[in-house]
Amino acid sequence: MRALDYEVPDDLYYSKEHEWVKIDGKTAAIGITDYAQQSLHEVVYVDTPKVDSQIEQSQSIGSVESVKSVSDIYTPVGGKIIEINEELAENPELVNQDPYGKGWIAKIRLVDFDKDREKLLTATQYADYIESLEE
Amino acid sequence: MTEPTQKTHLYEFHKQTGRMTLFAGFDMPLWYKGIIIEHMAVRKNVGMFDIGHMGRTIINGPESEAFLNYVTTNDVSRLAPLSAHYSTICNEHGGIKDDFVLSRLGPDKFLMVYNASNRKKDFEWLVQNSKSFKTKVEHVSNNIAMFAVQGPKAQQTLQKIADSDLNDIERFKCGWTKLVQTDVFLSRTGYTGEDGFEVFVWDTPLSDPANAETVWNAILKAGKEFGIEPCGLGARDTLRLEAGMCLYGNDIDEDTTPLEARLGFVVKLKKERFIGKDALLKQKTEGVKRKRVGLRMLEKGIPRPHYEIWKSGQKIGHVTSGSFSPVLERGIAAAYIPTEHAVENVTVMVKIRGKLAKAEVVGFPFYDSTKYGYRRQ
Repeated sequence: MRALDYEVPDDLYYSKEHEWVKIDGKTAAIGITDYAQQSLHEVVYVDTPKVDSQIEQSQSIGSVESVKSVSDIYTPVGGKIIEINEELAENPELVNQDPYGKGWIAKIRLVDFDKDREKLLTATQYADYIESLEE
Repeated sequence: MTEPTQKTHLYEFHKQTGRMTLFAGFDMPLWYKGIIIEHMAVRKNVGMFDIGHMGRTIINGPESEAFLNYVTTNDVSRLAPLSAHYSTICNEHGGIKDDFVLSRLGPDKFLMVYNASNRKKDFEWLVQNSKSFKTKVEHVSNNIAMFAVQGPKAQQTLQKIADSDLNDIERFKCGWTKLVQTDVFLSRTGYTGEDGFEVFVWDTPLSDPANAETVWNAILKAGKEFGIEPCGLGARDTLRLEAGMCLYGNDIDEDTTPLEARLGFVVKLKKERFIGKDALLKQKTEGVKRKRVGLRMLEKGIPRPHYEIWKSGQKIGHVTSGSFSPVLERGIAAAYIPTEHAVENVTVMVKIRGKLAKAEVVGFPFYDSTKYGYRRQ
């Protein structure tokens, strides 16, 4: 679906800090949302976490830097990092060009997604949330 | 109580095409297409900025030169008619009240262009200190629109619609001409490090901005073949930082002297008297303890204002301006550090979000001035 000028894919969960999470069995991919990348604009660095790190939901696991500002990446789910998007080191602009696809940031082995989900928003809820921010 | 948001002559254009931001009480464009695109347009071709938020004051009367020599640090007696110079106003302690460009319009008439954030403070200071001089200080910001056309193709762009030969206006000179039949004052100055002009559309009240819009649109059209971009405050900031120029409130303020900021070239201590002279003379004699330097990141990460600078396990200073440099494609910063470390090629650490990252002290500008900037070959 779309909310204002922002894309909000239906099959993802979202955090209020503007990260998305895509569940695939026991693992999940995470990234920042279209709203987040449009607000940051022109991403020039992505500071990604290390593979094998144990992380907890809402923990800052890295940062996204644009020309004007820097934002923490707060992981929407806890677990263990099993893969990071190596391409972002060379092409950080992928976060702007394709935030839900080639701009993914990390893959995580989930520990307790049922619990993590309590804090997350569905696409409809997230769409309402960003509309409320722009009012 | 907050003051109402102010707008410039070109507000309607910005609102329709730009991402807006609040700066010094003005609703201004941050960018149109993006900071990097706009930045590189100025470094490679030409870009145009609305700088109508800046303060403009005319100083007129038989003792204007004496007054300005007293209230500013540069030597106004050496400023010929239709010339401009960069200068500072200091307080009694030598701290910078503001930095600005002064143009001499005639023997006794001057135009001062200063920071938007200091509009009220500067005007009041000028009025207060002018009382014992035969001179009149008049605030004209709302009656003159102002753009900056900057970049290696700036002259070619303006020449297409100008009534006179722009070769006649050399760097830091100014003059009157017409652009698309509209009277303008041009000053070959800017805040990007590039060649370019600042365009003043005279007698254009904020309430009737038609002349300003006509000139703005004509410049965009004339520059189209050269790849002109309208540029917002984002690119204005990254361009001036790459050129090593100061931003008031970040790099200089009332607790920083021009000598510390490495603006000694605008402090003429041989002048008989000026506000701040005694303090600056004393500092010059004793030597400055800290200096503004450039830092170029040797590792990933972008330094931002207030980030700490470390050397040999000690905190030695902090970043005052920092950004990603589109030309160098890495982080750069301006920072104040003790004079003993303010030497080119010295390595320091910048604390970026808890982690120390290596940077080296470099001179200004940050870019290779044989390839970029007004001195380019």
